[in-house]
Amino acid sequence: MSNEGVIEQSTAGLMQLVAAGEELIGYIYPHTPLELFMAHGLIPSLIRTLPQVPSGFEASLQTFACSYIRNLYSQRTSNQMPPLTGILFPSNTCDSLQNLGDIWRVRFPEDRVFRLTYPVTRNIIDDSTQRYLAEELRLLSESLTTIFERPFLKESYNRGISLVREFREGAKFLYSARVVNPKIISYSDVAQLVRVFLTTPTAAAASAITEAANSVKKMVTDLGIFENVESVMTALVNRDFENVQLPENLDAPRVVVAGGMIEPQALGTLIKDIPDIPESVITLDLLSFGFKSVFTPPLDESEDPFMEMAKSLLAAPGEPTQEGLKHRMIFLKDLLTNLSIHGLLICEQSFCDPDQFEAPSIERAASEVGIKTTRIPIDPELSDKARIEVRIQSFLETLTER
Amino acid sequence: MNGDRPSEEKPYRRLETQTLLQQIAFTGGLEALEASENGNLAWVTSGFPVEIPIAMNVGVVYPEQAGAIIGAQKIGPEVCSYAEDLGYSQELCSYARASIGSTEKPDEVPMGALPTPQILLACNNICGTVLRWYDAIAEMTGATVFLLDTPPIEAEQLPHHQEYVRKGVQRLIQFLEDKFSKPLQDERLAEVADLSSKAIGLWTRSLEACQKKPSPLNCADRFLTMAPVVSSRGTEQCVDFYETLLAEVDDRVSEGLGAVRDEKIRLLWDNIPMWYTLRFFNLLASRGVVFPADTYTHAWSGSIEGVDTSSIIDGIVEIYSNVYLNKGLDAKVDKMCQLIKDYDLDGFIMFSVRSCKRYSLGQMVSKELVTERTGVPGVIIEGDMVDSRVYNEAQIETRVDALLEMLM
Repeated sequence: MSNEGVIEQSTAGLMQLVAAGEELIGYIYPHTPLELFMAHGLIPSLIRTLPQVPSGFEASLQTFACSYIRNLYSQRTSNQMPPLTGILFPSNTCDSLQNLGDIWRVRFPEDRVFRLTYPVTRNIIDDSTQRYLAEELRLLSESLTTIFERPFLKESYNRGISLVREFREGAKFLYSARVVNPKIISYSDVAQLVRVFLTTPTAAAASAITEAANSVKKMVTDLGIFENVESVMTALVNRDFENVQLPENLDAPRVVVAGGMIEPQALGTLIKDIPDIPESVITLDLLSFGFKSVFTPPLDESEDPFMEMAKSLLAAPGEPTQEGLKHRMIFLKDLLTNLSIHGLLICEQSFCDPDQFEAPSIERAASEVGIKTTRIPIDPELSDKARIEVRIQSFLETLTER
Repeated sequence: MNGDRPSEEKPYRRLETQTLLQQIAFTGGLEALEASENGNLAWVTSGFPVEIPIAMNVGVVYPEQAGAIIGAQKIGPEVCSYAEDLGYSQELCSYARASIGSTEKPDEVPMGALPTPQILLACNNICGTVLRWYDAIAEMTGATVFLLDTPPIEAEQLPHHQEYVRKGVQRLIQFLEDKFSKPLQDERLAEVADLSSKAIGLWTRSLEACQKKPSPLNCADRFLTMAPVVSSRGTEQCVDFYETLLAEVDDRVSEGLGAVRDEKIRLLWDNIPMWYTLRFFNLLASRGVVFPADTYTHAWSGSIEGVDTSSIIDGIVEIYSNVYLNKGLDAKVDKMCQLIKDYDLDGFIMFSVRSCKRYSLGQMVSKELVTERTGVPGVIIEGDMVDSRVYNEAQIETRVDALLEMLM
C-alpha cells in the first residue's frame, strides 16, 4: 500500500473511532506516554505530516521554520487534521516545536493545547530527570482530569499498558526478523503496521501486528533462524551486540536508515518506487516513529504510574534533541558493525536543527567503521522526490560495486 | 552619509567608554590563552551561570561573543563555510558555524578563534542549539560537555522545576571539582556573586537611563558595551567598566546629550543584531532614529540574590531559569510592550534571524500582538547575525523606510 493509501486508511480508522464517541488527543513527539491518555479514557493519535497539504503557514511562520512544523501548521489552517479533542506539544525538545506550540495557542485559541516538558539531561547517576518528568506527567494527568472530567483510572491504565506492550512486542520481533532476513516481510508492511497503531492505537491495530509477528515467527522457525532473530532482538533491546548471531550468506547490500522525525512509511514508498531496487535493501530504520518508538521499554503495572512512564520514556533510544551524542554514536557503530551493514542513508529535514547537527557526526561514525553513507535532504511533501530517488539509486549502486 | 566626517559632525555621539573594551578584550584573550595552556579553560554559553566556574578560578570564554567578532570583521561567510565543508548545513545557527569553522581552521581566523577548551559548559536557557553545537566542538577538541538543563518555563517556575535545576547546579559544582581537583569555596562564590550583581546593577541602570529623552545610548552602543556583562560578570574589571559606562551615561543625561544628535523617532529593536553591519543603526541615526531599548541587551538584567552558597544556588536556579528566551511567547510580548511603554517608543523593528529559531520563530505573531496592545507599528526584516550572505540590504531598507514613513 502506498503512503497515501496508509494515510487514508488511518484517517478512516480515526473517523470510525470518533463516530463511536471516542475522544482523540493528537500528539507530535514520538516519546509520548500513550498509556497516560488511555488511563484517562482518551485515544492518543500521532499527528503525521501529510505529503499533499496546501501551504498555509506563511502568515505565522517564516520560511526558515523547519519543513515538519510548516507541514503541521498548514494541515491545521487547511482543516486537514482529524477531529481532535486536544493536542499535545512537546517542550524542551527542539526550538521549532517549542515555538510552534506558542504560535498555535495564539492562532487557534479554540484548540485545547497541552504541553509536556522533557528533560534533556541523560546518563546521570541520580534520578532527578525521572523525578522531573514524573511530576510533569502527573501535572498533565491533573489537567486531563480537570478539563475533560475524566479521572486517571488504574484499570484503563493497565489496559493501556497491555495494549502498548502487545504492539511493541510484535513490532520488535518484526524489526528483528527483518535484520536477519529483510525479505521475510517488507519494510513498508512493517512501517504500515506501526503507523496504523500509532495513529489509531486500538486492540485491532495491536492484533494486526501480533498476527504479522506470529506469521513471521512461523516462517523464521521454518527457516531455522529463530535464534538469530532472538539474538538480534535482545541486542537491540539491550543495546549490546556482543552475542548477536547472524546467519551466513546474507543478501547484499544491507542498508540502515538514520534520521529523526521522518515518516518510515513515506520512506518505504520512496524506495519501493525506485526501479530495479528491491525494498529488502532496507535492513533497519533508526527513525523516531519507527525503531525509537518500537524499542521503548515496557511499563511495570505494579510501580508508581508516573515514575514508570518517566523511566520508560527516558530509556527509549536517544534522540538528537537530548544529551548523549557520544553514546548514540557508539551504539550506531556497534550496530553497523555487528549487523553486517553495508550502507547508511542519513535522512535530514530542511531547517531541522537536530537532524542537521547530528548528520555530520553520523557520517564520521559510519566512516570510522568503514560504512558508506549518503545524506538525503527530505521534507514531508517529498518535493524533491525525483532527485532523492536518483541519489538513493546511485548510492545503492556504489554499494553493489563493492 | 559621509563616514569620514569628524566625530562632532556625525549624527551620533561616540561613547568614550568603548575605548576600554579593547583593553578588556585583549586582557581576556591573554587570560584565556593562559588558562587553556594550563588545562583550565571552559567555553561557556551566554546564559550559563558563569559565577560558579569563575569562583573556582576556571578560565572562561564565550563562543557567541567570538561569533559576534567574526561577524563584525565581515568574515562570517568564509568562516561559516569551513563548518559547511565539514557537513554542517548553512541552515544551522551561524554562531555555531562560525565557532565550528574557526575551531577547524584557527589560523585563518586570527580574531575570533578561541583557545582550545578543556570543558564546554552549556545552558539551554537561550536555545536548544547550544547542546548540539558544543557536542560538535567536543568531537573536534576532545573537551567534555556539561549541560545545565533549564527546561522552558510557561508561567511560573514550579517547585519540581526548581528542584531539577538545583540538582543540575549541584552536579555542575561536582563536575568542576572533579575535573580540576579544587573545591568551591563559599566565600569566593559569595564574592563573585556580589561582583556579578553589582555589574548587572550598573548595567541595568545604564539601560534604564535610556528612558530619558534624548536617549543617552543607541542600539549599537549597547550591543558593544554588553560584552563584559556577558563575558566577565563576577569580576572586578567588569564592575569597573560599568561604573565608567554609567558615569558617562549619567553625564549625557544631565547635559541633555543624546546618542543621536537630533533624536526624532524612538524605536525598539528585537533580536540579535547583524554584527557585520552595525552601521545600520548609525545610518538610521542620520534620520533621527534612535533605539533606546532592545530585547537582546535587556536579557542580562537579573542579579543573583543570596548570602551563602545555598541561597546563591537558589538565586542561580531562579535567575538562569527565567531568562527572556526561556519563556514563552506571552512573556516575550509582555516584555516588548513594557519596554515600549517604559521607554516611550514610537515603533519597533524585529530582526528575523534565519539561523536563530528560538529567538525568531513566533515574531510574526508577536508583531501583531504588540501592535494590537500598544498601538505602535512595527516591521519585520530578515537576515542573519553573522552570515551576511542572507542579508538583503535593499529589501531591508525598503521595509524600514515604510515604517519610518508611518512615523515621520
